[in-house]
Amino acid sequence: MNPLKPLRAKVEDVKTEAEGVKTYTLSTEFPFVAEPGQFNMVGYPGVGEAPISLSAIMRDGSFKHTIKSVGRVTDFLKDFKKGDELFFRGPYGRGWPVKKAEKKDVLIIAGGVGLAPLRPVIHLILNSRGSFGDVSLICGARNEKNVLFMDEFDGWAEKIAVYLTVDEAVQPDRWKYYVGLVTDLIDRVKIKPERAIAFVCGPEIMMRFICRGLIMHGMSQSSLYVSLERRMKCGIAQCGHCQHSGLFVCKDGPVFSYKEVRGLPDGVL
Amino acid sequence: MTGERTFQKFKRLISKKAFLLWLDSLKKDYKLIGPRYYRGNHAVFKEVDSSEELFMEYETTMLSPGKLFLYKPNDELFRFAMNGKITIDEIAPIAEKQVIVGVHPCDVNAILYLDRTFLGAFKDPHYEARRKNTLIISLNCTNVGDNCFCSSVGAGPFLHAAGGYDMLLTDFENEYLVEIKSREAEELFGLEGRGAGRDELRLKAEKEKAMQGKFRKTINVSGLDNIFVENMGHPVWQQTAEEKCLSCSNCVMVCPTCFCYDLRDEMSMDLKTVTRYRCFDACQDIRFAEVHGGNFRQRRAARLRQFVTHKLGQTNQYGVFGTVGCGRCITWCPTGIDLTEITKEIQKHEPA
Repeated sequence: MNPLKPLRAKVEDVKTEAEGVKTYTLSTEFPFVAEPGQFNMVGYPGVGEAPISLSAIMRDGSFKHTIKSVGRVTDFLKDFKKGDELFFRGPYGRGWPVKKAEKKDVLIIAGGVGLAPLRPVIHLILNSRGSFGDVSLICGARNEKNVLFMDEFDGWAEKIAVYLTVDEAVQPDRWKYYVGLVTDLIDRVKIKPERAIAFVCGPEIMMRFICRGLIMHGMSQSSLYVSLERRMKCGIAQCGHCQHSGLFVCKDGPVFSYKEVRGLPDGVL
Repeated sequence: MTGERTFQKFKRLISKKAFLLWLDSLKKDYKLIGPRYYRGNHAVFKEVDSSEELFMEYETTMLSPGKLFLYKPNDELFRFAMNGKITIDEIAPIAEKQVIVGVHPCDVNAILYLDRTFLGAFKDPHYEARRKNTLIISLNCTNVGDNCFCSSVGAGPFLHAAGGYDMLLTDFENEYLVEIKSREAEELFGLEGRGAGRDELRLKAEKEKAMQGKFRKTINVSGLDNIFVENMGHPVWQQTAEEKCLSCSNCVMVCPTCFCYDLRDEMSMDLKTVTRYRCFDACQDIRFAEVHGGNFRQRRAARLRQFVTHKLGQTNQYGVFGTVGCGRCITWCPTGIDLTEITKEIQKHEPA
């Protein structure tokens, strides 16, 4: 079979997460297995395909994509309803090194929709909380309208430390969390560099400052992991669009250790 | 046909006339493709009716046979019927048997390079079917073009690849030294000719040495990966981009190793069918690396650098150079941008 052949998925549920952001729960007629941090090429005939990270991998074989409508494909998807059919291929790529995180203190740092690819890691940690040391989620968004999974934070906070911030609150008196850049929040977390590992996802410029901040706290480049966003057409290391120096972000990533991608041309890390 | 093992023994001298007659005999089972005279030293790889149409003494072609007959500029992949429940029709690969004769060593190496992209962990069924059904007969070069620099990157002027092609010819005046490199070729090739002994092989080595001395364009490839990474802000990128580069993508289109593609959906006029095509794409296009909210190669200089470093650096990708030194990107650049000159400019300031 042609590896580019799209597969059918049924929309089981659509939930509005934030301004312009919806989570689609999808099911297939075959078991779908994936690792946290992997992605699918999601699309529709006549519209095209776009790489979208998995925002949840469910035990029953269904999976979720949390999608912000910003481009041709994602704009088309925003009107999808329960019962509709869409197409995808995947899962593709190398996800978060969760095995390496076992017994370690885990810092999960997200900016904006960058929280979506990290949610499967949060789920995994919550399900086997004893396998990990101190776990902190540090999450930033432009304002409260852009915070994903707002209704899930309280549940997460029972098992892991949750730090939430917005760059600027639209209604400051009703916002009970932090205001300021996500980078500033790092200083509030007690980091033991020798036993910490960090998973970071957000705009590349944010990841740059987070990684540099964590290095200032004594963490090594190889204990920092970032998930990169690039244009992709194939997801299978052929179309060449995601090439980052000699790396294929779709195959060698999207998750890389900071050491692998720091300072590469045409990136800002 | 990808050579499943290498054939060291069969080295024979066959008269050119007999060889060409043998080629014609293949026509009943194979499409015969080879260099046809275009003008000057230029040929075009095309299907021919008879071996008489072949221009085996050609120097170069604008387009490489690999990107005409194996990895095609435009491939139809799927057809979606859009009325009611969408159905997907996967277009089956067309696997016509074909023989491509007269493929220069650079272009054979370029095909081996494309194999890394399309026959890797995910196999492209169209490429795979054509590759399996194609007999590649390589021809060692007898001319060195102004822009050829294959000798600097080990891709020519004589072919040394261990496998992945079927036969290798070397011009011996009225004869070809024929070397069989695959089982399929061994089974097909019935000519006896006369065995090539030590003298003939020495003569072949001498011919190769003589050719090596004819190169007017050379490049020192040692340490290029690091040199490029350390010089990504070198003024030569910006200067060449500003003064010369038109972002026309000619370099990419004529490059025998450029593999990038786009997937395009086309809706029929009655809105009932969507056809998904795969077609060549180019990193010189401003939208190539664009994502929402930004473009990783917005600057023309960055796109130019991407092409050059993908050819001469970034060997971590496949463990080989992305260039085979065919020089087509230089020949067909409308403003004369030369990747070897850019490289030399950067090397000037590097300690030797």
